[in-house]
Amino acid sequence: MIKIPTKILLVDDEKDFVEMLSLRLQEVGEKVFEAFSGRECLETLQKTGIDVVVLDIRMPGMDGMETLKEMKRKFPLVEVIMLTGHGSAETAVEGMKLGAFDYLMKPADFQDLVTKVTGARQRKDEQEERIRKAEAKLLLRKSGGAF
Amino acid sequence: MESTRILLVDDESDFRTTIAKRLMKRGMEVEQAGSGEESLAILKDKPVDVVILDVKMPGMGGLKTLHQIKENYPKIEVIMLTGHATTQDGVDGIKTGAFDYLTKPIELEQLLGKVRQAHEKILREDEKAKEAEFRTKMEQQMIATERLASLGTLAAGVAHEINNPLAIIKESAGWMKSILQKEEMAKIPRKEDFEKALGKIENGVERARRITHELLGSVKQNESVLSRVDLEELIDEAIILIKNEAVGRNVQVNNRVASTDSVIWSEPYKLRQVLLNLLTNAVHATGSGGSITVDFERSGDGVELTIQDTGEGIPKENLARIFEPFFSTKPTGKGTGLGLFVSRSIIEKLGGEISVESKLGQGTRFCIRLPACYEPGKARKS
Repeated sequence: MIKIPTKILLVDDEKDFVEMLSLRLQEVGEKVFEAFSGRECLETLQKTGIDVVVLDIRMPGMDGMETLKEMKRKFPLVEVIMLTGHGSAETAVEGMKLGAFDYLMKPADFQDLVTKVTGARQRKDEQEERIRKAEAKLLLRKSGGAF
Repeated sequence: MESTRILLVDDESDFRTTIAKRLMKRGMEVEQAGSGEESLAILKDKPVDVVILDVKMPGMGGLKTLHQIKENYPKIEVIMLTGHATTQDGVDGIKTGAFDYLTKPIELEQLLGKVRQAHEKILREDEKAKEAEFRTKMEQQMIATERLASLGTLAAGVAHEINNPLAIIKESAGWMKSILQKEEMAKIPRKEDFEKALGKIENGVERARRITHELLGSVKQNESVLSRVDLEELIDEAIILIKNEAVGRNVQVNNRVASTDSVIWSEPYKLRQVLLNLLTNAVHATGSGGSITVDFERSGDGVELTIQDTGEGIPKENLARIFEPFFSTKPTGKGTGLGLFVSRSIIEKLGGEISVESKLGQGTRFCIRLPACYEPGKARKS
């Protein structure tokens, strides 16, 4: 089976971390984009269709939470996995209430990350599928069931 | 008054014995001394509350004796007895530290009245000393807790910062490992050596990660003393401790806590610290003529405690930050900026929550909600 790459956007102000994780994810066949701030993250989302965002919560300037809120407002279908520090379970919960898919504690286990990315991608696909079906139904009703 | 221990010092033995008898009849413990020297010898062995001291005595005179007593036993109150012609001695006595003087011939009721007053003064002084001691102890406790908390904040900050480079090392090693697993790399020379070294790097990172996480975890765990807490008592206690400062600033403190079932299970010392923090802040924020009101009620399966002041209020831009560590609007050196931060950590650790409302120029209201029965396992995560 040929794997369809997930389009992942890595957002972290730690450039080295982003670079290495990006190379590693590409190595297992994902398509990876990079952003080093919340602002950059939103700009990238504007230009590129992204499936899953991996978002660091602690960033200077616009922090992860703000970015998440803004992202969920403008791009509600994009799934988000948060990277948090230890002991910030509260932030993680808050983020998930705002619509994040899940969270990981830094430094995260790569296999965990891959599993969660897959889960997030799946949820996004299913959601899009539901929207497509709903749209089709709507179209059917509008056309008065003429098909 | 009844058990007041008295030392009667007079060289006239008839007078002395008569007075001593009559005082004993009133239930007091009376020792007698015929001279200043003798009285000092008795004081060495016997605890005494009040000394009744004749001014005119051969040998060591009354004033000199008084001086010695006050120097060696500052807590003892001394009542001087003077002759008509020597009232000046009485005045000198008071200047040296005597409680008061009486002019001979004395009336017993008058003497009793003076003894009672002296005794009351001793009790008051005792109370004051105890309160001061208690306050010092509390302050030390608070400083220790705040220092611990700031150390914790520092440790947590360092651990957080180390996690970032750890993540970089981990991803780099992981990436190299996955490259080595590629088909085209199958036959590179000394492949096992590379794999071995990468394995060591990963183990090292894992070890460091455990350390940082343990460090972050340990910061949160403090030993706890769980017990029955009567909030009414606790609030009374806290108010007493800040009363002086409040009175000094002409701030009124109203305690509206009624005695209806104010008992919860929690940590009394930590709660008291929170109350003191909030009350002290309120006193500092409230100007002369203002007031602070403490209120308490049961709500659901918990309690709700509010501290409302009529102070200057907190500007909107600061309101969100007041619980941050090291955030303070007090002049440098006056506030640690940890009081509210620590208070919040304590309340959250006890499974409760603390909130604040404030209007500029009208005052601030802190609200603490606590479970009636705190179970350590069920604490909210913070």
